Amino acid sequence: MSSYEYILRTENLYKSFGHLEVLKDVTLNVQKGEVICIIGPSGAGKSTYLRSLNQLETITSGKIFIKDELFLHREHNRTIHRMDPEKHKALMLEMGMVFQSFNLFPHKTVLENVMIAQVLVRKKSKEAAQKLAKEIIQMVGLSDKLDVYPSKLSGGQQQRVAIARALAMEPEIMLFDEPTSALDPELVGEVLAVMKKLASQGITMLVVTHEMGFAREAADRVIFMDAGRIAQQGPPEDIFVNPKGDRLKQFLQSIL
Amino acid sequence: MNVLKRILHVSAWKHATKTAAIIVMAAVALLTTLSVINVSQEEMLLNASEQMTQAIQADQNNTRKRVTVTYNSFGFIKYMSLSTSGASAMKEAYIGFAGQVYKADEGFMKFTGQMVNYTYRMLGTGENILHGVKLTLLLTTLSMLIGLILSIFLALGKISKNKIISKISSAYIFFFRGTPLLIQLFVIYFSVPVIFGFSWRGIFAVGDPESVFKGAFLAALISFSLNAAAYCAEIVRAAIQSINKGQSEAAKALGMGYGQTMRYIIIPQSIRRMIPPLCNEFVMMIKDVSLVFAISLMDITTISKTIMTSEGNYLVFLPALIIYLVITAIFTYLFGKVEKRLSIYE
Repeated sequence: MSSYEYILRTENLYKSFGHLEVLKDVTLNVQKGEVICIIGPSGAGKSTYLRSLNQLETITSGKIFIKDELFLHREHNRTIHRMDPEKHKALMLEMGMVFQSFNLFPHKTVLENVMIAQVLVRKKSKEAAQKLAKEIIQMVGLSDKLDVYPSKLSGGQQQRVAIARALAMEPEIMLFDEPTSALDPELVGEVLAVMKKLASQGITMLVVTHEMGFAREAADRVIFMDAGRIAQQGPPEDIFVNPKGDRLKQFLQSIL
Repeated sequence: MNVLKRILHVSAWKHATKTAAIIVMAAVALLTTLSVINVSQEEMLLNASEQMTQAIQADQNNTRKRVTVTYNSFGFIKYMSLSTSGASAMKEAYIGFAGQVYKADEGFMKFTGQMVNYTYRMLGTGENILHGVKLTLLLTTLSMLIGLILSIFLALGKISKNKIISKISSAYIFFFRGTPLLIQLFVIYFSVPVIFGFSWRGIFAVGDPESVFKGAFLAALISFSLNAAAYCAEIVRAAIQSINKGQSEAAKALGMGYGQTMRYIIIPQSIRRMIPPLCNEFVMMIKDVSLVFAISLMDITTISKTIMTSEGNYLVFLPALIIYLVITAIFTYLFGKVEKRLSIYE
């Protein structure tokens, strides 16, 4: 059914904040269903990379393709190509994002959080949105919290709602920006369990994480970023068992 | 009908409501009793001095009366003053309370009598203070409402990425916050008609005896609205900017546009944070509205001043003070309620 080669592709991505170059020549091809973990020291540009995919940061130059279609092309801070707004919006919806700090809407209940974008953006009826929302909330194991406000939930529960909220838009790619970094250690497990479940369901995932256990277990490919570049990539065994290169060895040593 | 049923369902009332109801009922019962046993005007007249009584009796056959009788009754408390003018001017005042008549010519009783008199006058016909209260409330709420709506656009304008819109909004806010409200009122009421060649009263039908007041009201409403917009804009802007950036990022990541994000995510959250400063602004506005005395609109302040001028007594401002205090207290309470209602998710 899919007539494309790569679901997501970036070509020579650059991003600078003023004089500080955060991303340098990042090129990556992602196949449908792949689970990719991005690891690396802080300041390596992992989060910026994820955020620029989702247009939360504007890249300085480079090309982004979604389903082999040129989504955005910029050179020297000027947009060379952007597709027509309707299609742009539709392709944007193929990406769901989960944030480090959850960013749930505090004035909406759990159910409303998961419903709102379906109704406003996907233009679904309330009933349809509610039905899907309930299914997804059940999947993340929070069916008993439908009418609760986020402030009454633990961090782990909030993050699971945030995952449900992103999933409710039925994206093909899920971007996770350090989803467990803000959690107490004992709450990390429940979020990772949900993510593993998603990984096994064949959703394409890009995960920026410090959870090496998760990366080793769930990832198809691990990317090690350092100083704005992709320093190394490969299957988890290659990265964790036989690391090559001093920077990677040093990083793994410091974190494990 | 359902509402009535719910109100009458006494057992479901809150404790405080029950207490309040008991106090109100007790007060009504007490005041009714005091009114029933109170003296009549005739009984009060019996206490007048001999000379005064003679003067009153003489007046019954004259078309031109010598004695001015002022009689103010609230039922439970009554005030009567008798005065004559001319060479042998006399003045006597009495208070009727709980079936007794007291002389009110000096000291505390005189003060009490005057307070009864002013309150009665303010609530009675003539310079009716209720008209003043109505005008003050109408001007305050309307200009706050219009100002608040304008201020949302101003605030969004000021934080807009479009430099021109942002500059214009900032300039507007700077101008209205940087000049005195009284001068703004004067400019709009007096100068603007000269510049554009119209008159405020001319907006309303010719021959409408109220057109002067309607025109002044319109000018005041415009001045206060424009001024409130500037102050509220800063409140709205601060509230919007105090919402975590992650909220708009999350909304954007879900595909919501700028308008949707503002309307459904950012503004609903910022409203609760706006309530306390808006309450402040509202209370300030109630007091600022007293500036309309400068363009002869009859608000609480103007009416008190009129009574003072005609009466020559300076105590008349005390009831006015209390009226302002009551209005402010009511609104502070209501704003507090709204804030609490909006805080359920925190």
